[in-house]
Amino acid sequence: MPQELILSRDAYLLTIDLRLFWLVAFIYAASALVFILHAVTRSPQAGSAARGIMWAGVVIHLFFIAFRTFEGGRAPFQTLYESLSWFACTASLTCVVVSRKFRDVHVPSMFVVMLSAGASFYALLTRNPAVDPLSPPLQSWWFEWHVVMAFLSYAVIVVSCAIEGTYLISRPLLARGAPRALGLTAQDTDGFRKTAFNLVLFGFPLLTFAVFSGAAWANEAWGRYWSWDPKETWSLITWTVFAMYLHAMGIPAWRKNVASILNVAGFICMMMTFLGVNWLAKLLGIPGLHLYAV
Amino acid sequence: MAGTNKKTGKAGVPAGASLYLYRKLSSLRVSVYLLGVLTFFYGLGTVFPQGAALEEYSGAGGKVVAAVRLFNLLDIFNTPWFLVPAFVLFLNVLVCTYDRFFTIRARKKTLPETFPADCAVTLDCARSDVEEELPGILRGKLGFRVLSKTPGWTVLEKGLSYRWLTWLYHAALAASFAGFILSGLFVREGMVTLRPGKPAEVVSAGEKLGWLEKEDHAAPDFRLVLDAFITAYTQSPSLEYPTDKRSRLAYALGWKGLSYKSEEDSFFPKDWFSKLRVLRGGATVSEKTIEVNDPLKFEGYTFYQAAYEQTLRLRVKGSPSIVEAKAGEKIKLPGMEGEFLFGTLRVGTLNRLDGTVEKIIPFTTVKKITDAKESAGKGMRLTPGNSVDIDGRTIELVDFEEASVLSYRYDPGVPVLWVAGSLVFIVMALRCFGRWYMLAYTLEDTGGRTLLKLHIRAKGLSADPERIKRRLLHCLSNRA
Repeated sequence: MPQELILSRDAYLLTIDLRLFWLVAFIYAASALVFILHAVTRSPQAGSAARGIMWAGVVIHLFFIAFRTFEGGRAPFQTLYESLSWFACTASLTCVVVSRKFRDVHVPSMFVVMLSAGASFYALLTRNPAVDPLSPPLQSWWFEWHVVMAFLSYAVIVVSCAIEGTYLISRPLLARGAPRALGLTAQDTDGFRKTAFNLVLFGFPLLTFAVFSGAAWANEAWGRYWSWDPKETWSLITWTVFAMYLHAMGIPAWRKNVASILNVAGFICMMMTFLGVNWLAKLLGIPGLHLYAV
Repeated sequence: MAGTNKKTGKAGVPAGASLYLYRKLSSLRVSVYLLGVLTFFYGLGTVFPQGAALEEYSGAGGKVVAAVRLFNLLDIFNTPWFLVPAFVLFLNVLVCTYDRFFTIRARKKTLPETFPADCAVTLDCARSDVEEELPGILRGKLGFRVLSKTPGWTVLEKGLSYRWLTWLYHAALAASFAGFILSGLFVREGMVTLRPGKPAEVVSAGEKLGWLEKEDHAAPDFRLVLDAFITAYTQSPSLEYPTDKRSRLAYALGWKGLSYKSEEDSFFPKDWFSKLRVLRGGATVSEKTIEVNDPLKFEGYTFYQAAYEQTLRLRVKGSPSIVEAKAGEKIKLPGMEGEFLFGTLRVGTLNRLDGTVEKIIPFTTVKKITDAKESAGKGMRLTPGNSVDIDGRTIELVDFEEASVLSYRYDPGVPVLWVAGSLVFIVMALRCFGRWYMLAYTLEDTGGRTLLKLHIRAKGLSADPERIKRRLLHCLSNRA
């Protein structure tokens, strides 16, 4: 095929790809707005509708990711544009699956869909959507596994934090005698919070694999399994905070407040690992080995 | 440490003064505190640039220089402030693992005599019939094994014991620490630059050594030789895409379409290859073409493709000498004003978009830098044997040489880490995703009928105690 034809084909595919992602971002934003409407009006129909819109966004997002995989001939996790999309998709997917367990509680879904919409718009407005060839360090068996596992763990961490946050807000309201707070009743809270714990229990081995596979990959590519690079260190911080959370859940006196705070802190550390560390490194002028992902 | 502690009644626990320390080190709270302390140091390590020189740090406007100097914050992970709590955590994991071993082993003896009943079912048959059939159902159909049997309650278990799994991944974690310690003690790492056809020893001036390694250690008795260094490029068209947000929205709404443009020089490095041979006493004992992510391993050493160097030999017309310039570095040329910058020499193969592969005719670019400012544009193209005119002088590229820069590492901790790390992940996954049940039951005679009391505990994300109950009751109701 002549080069001009290849370029125009790639541009055409990228145009479809770009518009699909914009569509997904707008759907997430619409879902977030309907969730806000539900929070204001407390209309159950609005909550269900918002959840339905979020489902639609996830389905189209999965199609977009499959399309981009076909377009690039590789897993679409190389650039920040791609990883933000993958982050938004996995977080929303996890949320819609998990939230089937508590159909009357919409705050966690509202939080997750807002985050997904934010990540999508941030990618679309500030990053270049071009499908670039893989740089040599990324051409590794570890690439797909490391990123997939890391982002799956991020997704469950996001949803777990959303649930934990909802629990933290609703608990004092229920303690003051409110029959229902944020869709939760006093009887629901333990089971609801158990979901947050189970999510971390699900995500922690994945996070462990992400840290371990990252070290194994670094050992193959850079000749050192650990360089105390800011991104590596923040991934270790995230892992450590969740290890603290899981241990705190085993100490009766810490099971409530301390563990809840650690779960939320773990989410903040995860966001630092994913995005914050790049800004921090740029701000402080710290060189990093992961700057291709900025 | 062995023997049974009279005070705690627990096997393997020390007595006397060390009991306090033992209790602290096997405490869950202490684990959390230590992890918290380490997290603080990890955080510090991302705020201060690790490995930077103090002068460089203060010169770049770094803050709190006095504290940075005092606490060695630019090398925080090698200071006692970090290493001591890290070592205490290692001890904590070791002691916890040791302690839990005896606790778990003694578990059968410490099972309670009665259990709270989660559910009770009245069966329409005699107790003796149920007593006869129930063990068969639980063992044969539901896969339980008997843990203990008392006159009151029978306790059974199913699945891999979560306690042993938890113990095992903590033990593997302790082994990972041992791997880190081995690395810290015996590592050797450095860089070696290989020029085509010239054997080189594996030793470098700036070699980083483990705490127990000596500076004057003997170099390995083998040498490395580079037979060829090849860069494979791929054509990388650039996307014409605006940077401002409003214009990007216009693309989203379909007002504009995207387009790619491919320039003649759009080279994207696909990979770097070094064809290596290992020589011992003049004979080749190993050979491999390495690339990024595929190093050469030989006798405990691993050699990685790290970088490359390009040396350009230049002649300025009218000057008798040949000047050597490094690609990417500024240089002054004899008899010429200002500095010159030579771009990366493009040599190797190019994978074109249409799938064809062609050999690149080597070329570099040159541009003059005046008043410390680079001139705009890509510079003038220069090929071997040809020349360009700048400021009325002719610069000729006579020839060039490429050298491959390898990083090497000797690290006895790595195999330990891979085995222990894999074990941590696999066992942790089994613990978290798997299922474990403990079922205790008792039977009571209620006038010709039998009351079955059940207590079920479950661990693991795929455990479903309700399903076990349903299956058990189904089996009991369908028994012959």
